[in-house]
Amino acid sequence: MDYNRRDFLKVTGTGVLGLSLLQLGIDIQPVQAYAVALKIAETREVVTICPFCAVSCHIIANVRGGKLISTEGDPEYPINEGALCAKGAALLSMTTNDDRLKKPMYRAPGGSRWEEKSWEWTLEQIATRVKKVRDKDLILKNDKGQTVNRLESMFFIGTSHADNEECAVAHQMARGLGIVHIDHQART
Amino acid sequence: MPKSFFIDTSRCTACRGCQIACKEWNGLPANHTKQTGTHQNPPDLNPNNYKLVRFSEYLDGDAVRWVFFSDQCRHCQDPPCISVGGALVDGAMIHDKQTGAVIYTEKTREISEKDFEEIRQACPYNIPRRDPKTGQISKCTMCFDRVSHGLIPACVKACPTGALNFGERQQMLDMASAHLAEVKKTFPKAMLADPDSVSVIYLLTDDPQKYYRFSVAQNDSGMNRKMFLAQLFAPVKKSASSVLRR
Repeated sequence: MDYNRRDFLKVTGTGVLGLSLLQLGIDIQPVQAYAVALKIAETREVVTICPFCAVSCHIIANVRGGKLISTEGDPEYPINEGALCAKGAALLSMTTNDDRLKKPMYRAPGGSRWEEKSWEWTLEQIATRVKKVRDKDLILKNDKGQTVNRLESMFFIGTSHADNEECAVAHQMARGLGIVHIDHQART
Repeated sequence: MPKSFFIDTSRCTACRGCQIACKEWNGLPANHTKQTGTHQNPPDLNPNNYKLVRFSEYLDGDAVRWVFFSDQCRHCQDPPCISVGGALVDGAMIHDKQTGAVIYTEKTREISEKDFEEIRQACPYNIPRRDPKTGQISKCTMCFDRVSHGLIPACVKACPTGALNFGERQQMLDMASAHLAEVKKTFPKAMLADPDSVSVIYLLTDDPQKYYRFSVAQNDSGMNRKMFLAQLFAPVKKSASSVLRR
């Protein structure tokens, strides 16, 4: 068994002299049949859309008994033809990961600790604080006296998890508040 | 019919879809890693990563080159790992002649750490990894479950640029030659890495060492691995087995 990478490289360069004893120690494995089950056998295929970017690749989700077993690109969709990037390929983990956030988390201004909050409390807080800032900072007219209704002290960030229609609604809401600093956070 | 991969690194954008798709299909957990100053993450193959996109950057005259190498088991035509470790535990390391896949099973847990080192040393591409907790030796399986049910490997399925390809060996060899002729127009030093001796054929745009130390088994030694193994085995195949039986 005294056959390692160095020997391999050496031998390929210099020939096989002196290896005859070694040869006797090397067994030739017989051809073996090896079979394994396919984990997506007998699953239902559900076509879904990757939530990450605007390319919106189609993904086949394999479901068995209401549980997600596997995800992979849909070869019949002309845009991605079955392919996925690293984010789309990780869709299974995105749904099954224990570290996934399931409830709103809140960190107080100047605080160092995240605490779990209810949706009711969170939405109420957001609405209250948005209104407070808007009431204080909304600029109704510019220096020339033209109506602008502009809110410059707030930044609105969207998500690439949102589809086109959701983005349109979010954008209209931000504009409605007078926000001018708007970003989508698309990572395509 | 034996299968092969053809990996055209000139088409790779290092999105790492292959690396993730591999983990997802094989149900491999995440690694705790640290920022090491490169996008190559994790830093090396390990029992949770059968596939790893290696990043390498270098100066080519005034031009900065950044090359990507989607590393995995090459599923050698005559696998040295099996020559060394195949007889240790029955059914632990299998060379499936139908597909050409080299497969390590759960029985590799019965192989000692010392023997594992020999197996790893024998691999011309430094692929096998051992889980220190379970003792299991693991690496790319060629998605044997998928391939034997008519599907292509998860990494190839995910690849969005056509860098990774999989199919009948002859078909892949033909594709490799065609791509090579095209890529050579831009990269005159372009080459195929050990196409005659492995089932995972890489197209490299430059000197293999610019990519990764083990991107090829050896360079222009005048004798490739297949010739070497043919010489090693052919004349003594019968006499060796008869000696062993005694």
